Amino acid sequence: MSCGNPVADADALMQRRKKYDKTKNCVKCKVAQGNLVIRHAVYCKECFLHLVVHKFRRTLEPTVNPKPDGPRRTALKPAGNLLVGFSGGLGSSVLLELVHRCYIALDKSTMLADGGSHHPRHERVWKRVSVCYVEVCDAFPGMKDRTEEIARHIKRYDGLDFVSLRIQDAFDLSWWKRVGGKPFSSELGVTLADEDLFLESLASKSSDPLTSLRTYLSSLPTPTAITTSVQTLTRLLLLHTALHTGSSHLVFGTSLTSLAVSLISGVAQGSGFNIREETQEDWTPEPPEVSASEVPEESTNARDSQHEGKKARKGKRTVRVVRPLRDLGMKECAAWAWWSDVPVVGKEKWGWAGARPGIGTLTKDFIVGLEKEYPSTVSTIVRTCGKLAPKGEVSGSCILCARPAQRGVQEWKARISIRSRPPVDPIAALNGPSDPVVEPSPVASAKPLRPSLTPYLCYACHTTLTSKSARPVPSPWPADARSAIVTLPVWTEARLSSAKGDNDRTSHVHGEILQTRRVREEEMKEIVDEFLLDD
Amino acid sequence: MLSPATHTLAQILDSRPSTIHPTSLDIVMSTITVKVEFGGGLELLFSNQRSHRVALPARVPVSYSNPFSPPSAAGAEQGIQNSEDAPKKPVDLSYLIFWLRDNLLKERAELFIENGTVRPGILVLVNDADWELEGEGEYQLKDGDEIVFISTLHGG
Ligand SMILES: [Zn+2]
Ligand SMILES: [Zn+2]
Repeated sequence: MSCGNPVADADALMQRRKKYDKTKNCVKCKVAQGNLVIRHAVYCKECFLHLVVHKFRRTLEPTVNPKPDGPRRTALKPAGNLLVGFSGGLGSSVLLELVHRCYIALDKSTMLADGGSHHPRHERVWKRVSVCYVEVCDAFPGMKDRTEEIARHIKRYDGLDFVSLRIQDAFDLSWWKRVGGKPFSSELGVTLADEDLFLESLASKSSDPLTSLRTYLSSLPTPTAITTSVQTLTRLLLLHTALHTGSSHLVFGTSLTSLAVSLISGVAQGSGFNIREETQEDWTPEPPEVSASEVPEESTNARDSQHEGKKARKGKRTVRVVRPLRDLGMKECAAWAWWSDVPVVGKEKWGWAGARPGIGTLTKDFIVGLEKEYPSTVSTIVRTCGKLAPKGEVSGSCILCARPAQRGVQEWKARISIRSRPPVDPIAALNGPSDPVVEPSPVASAKPLRPSLTPYLCYACHTTLTSKSARPVPSPWPADARSAIVTLPVWTEARLSSAKGDNDRTSHVHGEILQTRRVREEEMKEIVDEFLLDD
Repeated sequence: MLSPATHTLAQILDSRPSTIHPTSLDIVMSTITVKVEFGGGLELLFSNQRSHRVALPARVPVSYSNPFSPPSAAGAEQGIQNSEDAPKKPVDLSYLIFWLRDNLLKERAELFIENGTVRPGILVLVNDADWELEGEGEYQLKDGDEIVFISTLHGG
């Protein structure tokens, strides 16, 4: 150290922990000079490249068989095909390369030496592998359309089917029919501007998908709600595509770092009940999928033979969502992509003029900064979240995000929330007939009981749709006026319409009535009375 | 000021400020050339060109690239101090980072530099090795080095 600079000397006293332990030699082979530091451990390039493949297989393969293996490892026999969710980002680029090497090209270098040539891993596991890209550029102003670039990137690989979607397909009836969704006539919309989320008849029944998308997004209360909703729409488009391609498995390129981000930002947005699904989930469509005649024929031969007999109907099909890179940090993904010559198309930032960064962006900045200074903390976050066991009973799945909804959340939320706005007609609200008919009608506004979307939502989606920002939020699409009644995604509309046609099943499935009631101010005061402090 | 390379070592030493004592012979070269590569989408900030050859002075002002001094105190964020009598040191990786910002970066410096070093989420390789093994910004550049900057921030 040189003399002189007092500022530098002060910093020298507080030097951070060295980024790597002990020597610069590889911790694995102990011989080679290290090339990469991963959470304080040094690896040479050779050992690191194998480590990534190993961690990928170690995470994915135990989830391949419908039931987990016993002590003896059996052959990998998935119940269907494989769908890769591809965003163009670093994680999914690494994931696609790994899937191709391990299960399509059957690259010898990805096989474990201990397996021998008769090891089941040396066979192709999935009959068909598809890749699905959802272009979100139409959700954000000025965003570049990468569809062509992505299609070119995927052409690098042989033996893959490419499915290209756009985010507005979530509002497209023809897409819904194409993936075998139950047809419905779109009639209901939701009053997103109203926190009671009343269901109303749509004024015009045929708005094009793009307009529906932009109206939906523009009517959301916060930038966080917009990005979260785009993520949810993308996830559901992929889940239904998985079903349509006969896929039993849907894989995402979520790295350890991105998983930590989604866990933390999810909890911050009220999705703590679904913290496990953020890591891995088994999704079964609701209502049970459509008659066999409408199921695409290509998925028929993909059925697992052992299930064929007892489950000939497609109703019970499940898609298992797995994140095989969840033990690999962003840094590992970046180094592996660089050393393996995997190009990254890239992903644009989601945002628009005037919008402050949402919870997701803020969380990401925080986690990435944390990972740089304290590389082990991020995996600790993920491990800690993995130990959390949400309490509470599941009550069906959320009509919007399709994740398990917690029973009783709406009552709880109604008890703790104080509405700032007085009811439209308190007398009518108190004395009106309590009409149990679920059927919505244009004159419903005069009635005390009106159908609402609320009982169908999980806590997180309800929060997303209703929690207001203190400051007004600039709309990404100012030209598309916030509409009083907003069209919902096709899968939501389909469930609403089947619920409408079959009230008994609705109340059976959800165990709740499809209604909400405005409460008079005095009545509300009575309810909260015991919690009020004397002043 | 130290070129051309035909100067004798003695001449060079004579021309140097007396407070600095040379510790190695690398000062006989007045400039070094390094290869710089960008990956993971970071090239988009550098006119979408992945590979660059960069010539740098072999010795640079101490205050310029000191990542630990606050910007206001040492002018770390303000760019090269060309004062002849500023104390000098062998060119290091921190200097290269500022040099890239000042000379090659086309847009949005905040996506490359933060708090006097590369932004979190950018992986730096020095001749194929993690810069964390090489002392990060304090790594002294050598002629012919290959420095790679890879963004990890382009999502999952
Ligand atoms: Zn090694
Ligand atoms: Zn939900």
